[in-house]
Amino acid sequence: MTLELPVDLLFGLNLDLNLDLTRVMTANAIVLPVVLPLLAAFLMQPLAQVSRLLARLLGPLVLTLGAWIILNTWLEVGPAPFSVAIGGFAAPLGIVFYADQLALLFALAVQVFTLLFWPGLGVVAKAEAAADRQRAPRRDALALLLASAATGLALSGDLFNIFVFYELAAVASFGLVCADDSGRARIATLRYLFISAFGSVLALVGIAILYLQTGTLNLAQLAQVAPETLQGPIGLAAFALLLIGFGVKAELFPLNAWVPEVYATAPARVSALLAGLISKLAILVIVRLLILVFQQPEASQLLLVLGVLGVLTGEFSAWRAQDFPRLLAFSSIGQLGLVAIAFSIDGTTGLLAGTAVALHHLIVKSALFGLANRWSGGLDALAGAAKGAPRAAGLFVLFALSLIGVPPLWGFWIKLLIMVGLVQGGAPLDLLALGAILLATAVEAHYLFRVALRLYQPPVPDRALRLAPPARWDTGVAYLLGACLVVISVAITPTTEALRVLAQQTGDVLLYIDTVFPQPLADKE
Amino acid sequence: MDWLSAVNLDGLAAVDFRWLGLVLELILMPLIAFVVGLGLVLMLRKIAARLQRRVGPPLSQPLWDIIKLHAKETQTSHGLIHEIGIVMAIGGYVAAVTLLPVPGMNGLAQQGGLIALLYMTMIPSLGLALGVGQCANPNGSIGISRALTAMLAYDVPLVIVIFGVAFHFGSLNLVHMIAAQQAGGIASWGIVQMPLLALAGLFALQGMLGKQPFEIYVAPAEIATGPMVEMGGKFLGGLFVMQCFQLYTAGVLYVTLFLGGGEHWLTFLFKVFVVTAIPMTIAMVFPRYRTEDMVRLFWKWPTMIGLLGIAFVMN
Amino acid sequence: MATSPTTVMDQLLTGLHLPDGLDAFAGVIRESLAQVTNSASWTRYGRQSLEWLIGMNPVDRLFMLSALTLLLMLLLGRLRSAGVLAVLLYGAQFAALLSTDTLFGAPLAAEVRITVADQSLHWSYDALSWFFAMLTIGAGFVTAWYAAGSWMRRYREAGRSARAFHVALALNCFGMLLLIGSADLLSLFLGWELVSWASFLLMALVGGLGAQAALKYLAYAISGAMLILGAIALLYSVGGSFEYDAVVAAIRGMTDAQVWTLLLLLGGGFAVKLALLPFHLWQAAAYAEAPGAGSVFLGAISARMGLFGIIVFIVGMIGVSRLMTLEIPYTFMSSRELIAWIAALTIIVPTYTALQQHDARYLLAWHGIGQGGYMLLGLMVGDAVGSAGGLLHCFNYAITQAALLMAVFAVVHRTGTADLNQLGGLVTRMPLTFLVLLFGIISLAGLPPMAGFVSKWMVYRSLITEGMPLLFVTAVVGTLGTILSVYKLIHNIFLGQLRVEHQEVAEAPLSMLIPMLGLSALIFLAGFIPGPALSWVAQVQGQLGLPVVPWVLGGIVDPRGGLDMIWLVGILMAGFGVGALVFYGFGGRSRRVHQLDNYAGGHFLTADVHYQYSDNFYAGLMHLIGPWYRGAFRWLERSLAATLDLVSFGAEGLYRLAQPTLLMLAAAVAMLAWVL
Repeated sequence: MTLELPVDLLFGLNLDLNLDLTRVMTANAIVLPVVLPLLAAFLMQPLAQVSRLLARLLGPLVLTLGAWIILNTWLEVGPAPFSVAIGGFAAPLGIVFYADQLALLFALAVQVFTLLFWPGLGVVAKAEAAADRQRAPRRDALALLLASAATGLALSGDLFNIFVFYELAAVASFGLVCADDSGRARIATLRYLFISAFGSVLALVGIAILYLQTGTLNLAQLAQVAPETLQGPIGLAAFALLLIGFGVKAELFPLNAWVPEVYATAPARVSALLAGLISKLAILVIVRLLILVFQQPEASQLLLVLGVLGVLTGEFSAWRAQDFPRLLAFSSIGQLGLVAIAFSIDGTTGLLAGTAVALHHLIVKSALFGLANRWSGGLDALAGAAKGAPRAAGLFVLFALSLIGVPPLWGFWIKLLIMVGLVQGGAPLDLLALGAILLATAVEAHYLFRVALRLYQPPVPDRALRLAPPARWDTGVAYLLGACLVVISVAITPTTEALRVLAQQTGDVLLYIDTVFPQPLADKE
Repeated sequence: MDWLSAVNLDGLAAVDFRWLGLVLELILMPLIAFVVGLGLVLMLRKIAARLQRRVGPPLSQPLWDIIKLHAKETQTSHGLIHEIGIVMAIGGYVAAVTLLPVPGMNGLAQQGGLIALLYMTMIPSLGLALGVGQCANPNGSIGISRALTAMLAYDVPLVIVIFGVAFHFGSLNLVHMIAAQQAGGIASWGIVQMPLLALAGLFALQGMLGKQPFEIYVAPAEIATGPMVEMGGKFLGGLFVMQCFQLYTAGVLYVTLFLGGGEHWLTFLFKVFVVTAIPMTIAMVFPRYRTEDMVRLFWKWPTMIGLLGIAFVMN
Repeated sequence: MATSPTTVMDQLLTGLHLPDGLDAFAGVIRESLAQVTNSASWTRYGRQSLEWLIGMNPVDRLFMLSALTLLLMLLLGRLRSAGVLAVLLYGAQFAALLSTDTLFGAPLAAEVRITVADQSLHWSYDALSWFFAMLTIGAGFVTAWYAAGSWMRRYREAGRSARAFHVALALNCFGMLLLIGSADLLSLFLGWELVSWASFLLMALVGGLGAQAALKYLAYAISGAMLILGAIALLYSVGGSFEYDAVVAAIRGMTDAQVWTLLLLLGGGFAVKLALLPFHLWQAAAYAEAPGAGSVFLGAISARMGLFGIIVFIVGMIGVSRLMTLEIPYTFMSSRELIAWIAALTIIVPTYTALQQHDARYLLAWHGIGQGGYMLLGLMVGDAVGSAGGLLHCFNYAITQAALLMAVFAVVHRTGTADLNQLGGLVTRMPLTFLVLLFGIISLAGLPPMAGFVSKWMVYRSLITEGMPLLFVTAVVGTLGTILSVYKLIHNIFLGQLRVEHQEVAEAPLSMLIPMLGLSALIFLAGFIPGPALSWVAQVQGQLGLPVVPWVLGGIVDPRGGLDMIWLVGILMAGFGVGALVFYGFGGRSRRVHQLDNYAGGHFLTADVHYQYSDNFYAGLMHLIGPWYRGAFRWLERSLAATLDLVSFGAEGLYRLAQPTLLMLAAAVAMLAWVL
């Protein structure tokens, strides 16, 4: 079965594509953003032999198309969730995609952000060495693979599929991290690989437990049977194992020991993708499991504890960080801890807060990693950087303020939401988490503004600025994301309302089941 | 002002007359203070002389001293602030003594109580300090540094005493305090009611007057370091006038707080002279204290006695 | 037909003979002139906008003008005339504030409100807001004036951005106006953060030491803000709303433990801004190292925002009587005494730290921390005179500290240093600045006849009548330390020997002198006639539900010992007159010698020999109390930082583990153990 499924998947997808060209504009088109990048990834190498230019353009084109398809589908189908049975096989047997607003939002984010941080964009081709030119198609293929897997993670309605996509994303990210062929990156990747592999094993055990207990891996079906079969320690054990497995990419403590090294050594855009995007999708998976399968207070508590530990260790470590990417990496750990804490809050508030903080971090941290492209290296070397790049420094301050949660920026409203949620929870653990967040915020403000002040200091005279040449594309992306942030901060009320609708939809288990199985399945039981 | 209230006039005329009476008081009070102060200076010099088996100066000596200093031909001024300092030194006390009720005259005692008086007496110190500073002589500045340190030393027990007394009488108004003491006879005097505070107050008085053994900052005649270094002629004369007021203020304040104030001038002056004589008599017996030793002493014994006194007063 | 301006212009232009090529150009000019001079539309437009401005809600108008100031500074701050524009705009804000009439009238809510996700942020001005807004705008006004001329030229010449300065100042004012008008917890926090970051901006403008101090400030400020945020969460959880009405009701229903928590959170948060012990270490350097005019603003008003918070929540909402019922277990103290003692220690410790400073800016900044203690102390006594004294001291201190800092920065402007060991004898060079500093130090030390005396007198008096001996003694000892310290300040700058390099120093420029002298006059007037300021304070007291001080024009009437400053100042002036008569009226003429005509031990001195007693001014005192300065708070701060470092090191160690999978395994085992 393990071996069969991917083949089945590919086959099914191809079939689907061939058969249903006429229905591209309808709901089923949602599979295309998964399929097209995958195909393109495989086509990349052969195409590069034919035309290098075409190969370079292929990725962005596919991603643009994917984004357009998702957007179009969303607009056509409307706010109600829908599910797609791939290959026409009914849900329990076949593979199912479940597309509610949350999934669509993240699927769209995958396309857009991969496009924004596309490795080949905005880089002057002539400056690239011959070796780089050799490497480019491979790198692009990996990025496409990552996009495909990430989209799959957002849409999949089946645990095993999720696992497969997750592994696919892992493989792609390994390749991307050491795409530049530096020794340090390779070592970091090796560490990442070990942790990831170990996590996968544990996740697989968790999946096995689930399967043994319930006989299915379809999330909708699991949701139906979970209250009977997965209550108690066995279910929790399975959740714990899955949490460890998916927590690796979600940067949950203590499964995130790979994060600082990888982000510090990987190309900044890859770090932006991993920290901003992939981590959110892993969290998304955990949240789906939590809502649909493991609706137990203990499961939420587990997530909360890991979140608190992540917030504390991340922010404290960031306080000691000596170079900019590493600082961002640790800060990202802390922020994901915050995401975990937010999602552990009961009810719509938690989902709303969690989605908001995840989106916020997606925007802010990606942009910051984009800025890190020119400010890599030690923090000391950043002195005076604002003189050369006043706008980039201004953007940094904006993002830092929002990360800290200074009103009236979006970050503040999110933090307020989380705090109100925690206080309403009122359990000692909740209050502890509240305290941890407040403490971590104070630490966070200090280290972020230590950097900000350094940017605005006069440059150290005897130390030549070893700054990378201005990366216009990255700064442009940072601009765009900054504008997004400001717009959301201004339009905070509609944003929150939209997210609330989204959260309510996400939290509705019955809706999920009904969407996947339109008719009652009593006869099957 | 009771002698004024006996005059029964109506309406505007009465107001006018009271106003005139107050002006009269405000002129009289500093004058009396100055004359009594001259007497106190004379007494102190007599006591010092007797203790040292000398005859001492004649009766009018203090006045002649002032006249002599003013009349000197060499009057070296180091600038406007030097002169203003002396003006402030005299002026502050002239104002302060109008806040001190004496028999028959309350002056401005109703308009500013004990604390106002205390802070008013700091104006002359400030003036002196400014004047000395302008002289650009480091020895003078060192003297001021010591004088201000001494102020920090004796003011701690002093404010403790002031708190205790004010709390005891339930008022900051000196007129009330005198009335309360005179109504109840000797048994209600501050010194009977609050002996510990009276003792601490005596200590503070000693420091406040800058007399031996706490006169290192003045350091008359011995050390080239002190506020008086650049003070000659009428600058010194002005300070002499200030000293008269200072002795008067300290003596009257103590009498007011602890000895029932003045029923009439005879007993009042007697009390004032006795109170001022005590420090002088003690002074000659002790060696001179260094500034920091003075601080240590004042922050230890009188402060402890004063706090103990407050504890009794408040229970 | 009467000639309208348009036709006149037409005639003028048509009458001109222009070369052919310029005809079209002339046509354009004519058209545009016609538009400009179309007086009807212009007056209508102008009248409309004026009517709109007049018809506006006064509080909105105030906010709008403040925001406009910020905007204009952002756009035009680079211009040379921006300083003058700023002065005008702050003046307009002041007028707008006066027009709100919320001091003696009823509280007025702003129509501006923001609704965010079913929470509403709104603002309202009452007597308390008016009082603090008056201080804020006043501080902004004098600061802008001080900075408008010569000071800003020098600032530009040093390569610094005038725009950044103007923007920072305007942002500070704007943030404070929002904060003190806040009418719910969210708008409070919004204002609070705005103020915190704006003052951070003002501190960090110069870089170097200032930036370091600003970073330290930030660490404190954001910790404080987080405490406040925690308190807001607590209040929301109890009351279920961010509205003040609900908060008041919630506090009334809270258990003692909850009130304690609230007190610690709110008190801690506001104490950071007010720099109460033990959160005071950031302030001196942060204020002293800010650019001169900025330092004046920060010193005068910025820290008062913390006091504002304490007044609103702890004095207003919780109430002093509730504080008295909160006993600290195992002691005889209530929470009110605890706060009062914190205030008293805040008087003592920073004041005596100031005594040790040898930089004029730092000396004043440390005193600023100490003076905050008097305000809180007065409020904690809570009777009519004490709370009035605390509030009045906000006003008196603001004008005093502004004048003092202005004088010191005027000296820095002329001599380039604020080091008390590098100055001296400047009284002959800068007599007016000396006068300003003299008025300032008399007021700061709380001596008559200046403003500071009145408010301090009120605090002392309340401590006596309420029977708090130790607090009283502490407060007075603080004042005595202030006297020592400010004498050193004026002596080392203006008195003593004039240094050779300062012989050509000129008086401070007029643009700086005018606000300085204005403030000095105010300091004297507020001491001479404290009635007006007391009437404001009385209104504030009434609004807060405190007993109202019995004030008259000259001070306070009270049979148990009142104060009439008109009489006291009058008699003091008369005394000075008598003194002058005694000194100038009798005896020989004094001969004024040159300032540098001096001798030492019989030797005449040349001007280049340093002959000035300045360093370690109170050597005798320090001999005794020197060892008492143990730097306990610095030690506390350092050990906190070291703890943070250690914890961070540990946290980072987790990410450095050579065998991360072991950690994972351990985590997995732990989790499984927990669930099973």
